[in-house]
Amino acid sequence: MSSTIYYKFYSQKDISRLPFDGTGITVFDLKKDIININALGDGTDFQLKLYNPDGMEEYVDDTQVIPRSSTVIAKRAPATKSIHSNVNTGMRISNATRYVIGKPKIFKKLG
Amino acid sequence: MQNNNTGTTTNDNFRFFGLGGSNEVGRSCHVIRYKGKTVMLDAGVHPAYRGMASLPFYDEIDLSTIDVLLISHFHLDHAASLPYVMQKTNFKGRVFMTHPTKAIYRWLLKDFVRVTSLSNNANSNIRTSNDDDNLYNDTDLVESFDRIETIDYHSTMDISGIKFTAYHAGHVLGAAMFQIEIAGLRILFTGDYSREVDRHLNSAEVPPFSTDVLIVESTFGTATHEPRITRERKLTSLIHNTVVKGGRVLLPVFALGRAQELLLILDEYWTQHSNDLGNGQVPIYYASNLARKCLNVFQTYINMMNDNIRKKFRDSKTNPFIFKNILYLKNIDDFQDFGPSVMLASPGMLQNGVSRDLLEKWCPEEKNLVLITGYSIEGTMAKFLMLQPDHIPSINNPDISVPRRCQVEEISFAAHVDFQENLDFIEQVGAGKIILVHGESNPMGRLKSALLSNFKNLKNTEKEVKVYNPRNCVLISLEFKGVKVAKAIGT
Ligand SMILES: [Zn+2]
Ligand SMILES: [Zn+2]
Repeated sequence: MSSTIYYKFYSQKDISRLPFDGTGITVFDLKKDIININALGDGTDFQLKLYNPDGMEEYVDDTQVIPRSSTVIAKRAPATKSIHSNVNTGMRISNATRYVIGKPKIFKKLG
Repeated sequence: MQNNNTGTTTNDNFRFFGLGGSNEVGRSCHVIRYKGKTVMLDAGVHPAYRGMASLPFYDEIDLSTIDVLLISHFHLDHAASLPYVMQKTNFKGRVFMTHPTKAIYRWLLKDFVRVTSLSNNANSNIRTSNDDDNLYNDTDLVESFDRIETIDYHSTMDISGIKFTAYHAGHVLGAAMFQIEIAGLRILFTGDYSREVDRHLNSAEVPPFSTDVLIVESTFGTATHEPRITRERKLTSLIHNTVVKGGRVLLPVFALGRAQELLLILDEYWTQHSNDLGNGQVPIYYASNLARKCLNVFQTYINMMNDNIRKKFRDSKTNPFIFKNILYLKNIDDFQDFGPSVMLASPGMLQNGVSRDLLEKWCPEEKNLVLITGYSIEGTMAKFLMLQPDHIPSINNPDISVPRRCQVEEISFAAHVDFQENLDFIEQVGAGKIILVHGESNPMGRLKSALLSNFKNLKNTEKEVKVYNPRNCVLISLEFKGVKVAKAIGT
């Protein structure tokens, strides 16, 4: 059965709709679809953030399921680099590439 | 919002927030706030991207809070997302630009919509969705156009406590610098500017009133330009040498602005060297309907150009922009490619369209020449060509690569200040806070270091000069102590 989720870019006037199958859509899949439909690019130089319009709380967990017929607010923001001293690489880049190449973020990694 | 704070952040601080064009060239768009007033400077697109990906990061602020939006000039990286802002967002402010900018903007964006639609069709087989890359359509253009207000050079507007004055910026016809005054604090935004009198434009002006915060372009960083005459001579001799050997010359140009300067140079040279060039046997083509349509704009605004060209116009009673040796090509299909020729074609950075098609056709031959005269933005074909690659990718068939054997040369007629010109202007303006915009990170970083070392003897004095080079969406918050209020009362 086809369902709909509504989303609005924070700066835009109009609300867009996105059809999908199922009773809910994960944050990961929704971001992937919004990036794709709006041709936002390969994800290296931007981040896509989604928010619940009530209180503008950000959906930070890629695996969270947003029920159908909900409305979310989307923000396109620049990619950022931040220094994390406790990580071996030292530099963490926050961007949207994983939504384009299709690998959800794994929260608990071994090693 | 990240905070790059240098003082306490209160609502009384001056705030600068770059939505685009900070540590990059493209999608120029900056927001400044002071004492509850908000001004946006420029609304461009990034020429290396398309559709929404080319926009400044508009989601990062509430566009409904903007009181006034000032457009510095008609180039796409400064003006092409304006219809989007006016039609598709909750922006409610007033928009200003100069008369010539508005006159050219109208044609330019119509063409921008058309070109974007065309390339959407061409690539429709590889699109993953049925949406197109057009940020707006003709109707949006028309509806927003009438709401754009104009400002004369040297005139001052006062929109509920935001005063702003337009000054000549050189660069292209209609280009303006804006000095903005809010509650006694003066901010100068240069936009793209040049400090050289060329064949048709004046050098940028230093405003007569002092400036507290200078927002200045840094395109060429610490690089130095050769004198204009040297560059002109190089240009004409490269072209001359190519065509006498039977080669073709491709000049990728942005249809309006700097192209008119090149045409003035070439038209004169062709007249003076007619004998050597086979008495009209080597044509110069300009493949731009848009330029043809805008000729009357250039004619109309000759009074805003420099003394030389105004004098020429008065003395000869002919429009210097009606060229003797230039043929306008209405349709590239009518072009008969039989022998040596010179072709000016758009777009300037060879991303697609006529200039790209000609590049792919001509680049396999050694005797041909591609001459880049504009500023090439990171990520575009023009920038890639500078690396003298052996092959270039074909635009219409991603599986094919085209061998590149032609000559590739770069001579800048981009009309941006070089280091010495920029430094000289910055010193004359004398602002204590300098915010660098419109530059790739490396040249901008070098410019920042050069400026800091130039002003190092003022360090820890009252006149200390601070230089900022923020990234997009990194807030700069500057504290101005009581001084400003006193100043406002005193005057
Ligand atoms: Zn420009
Ligand atoms: Zn520019």
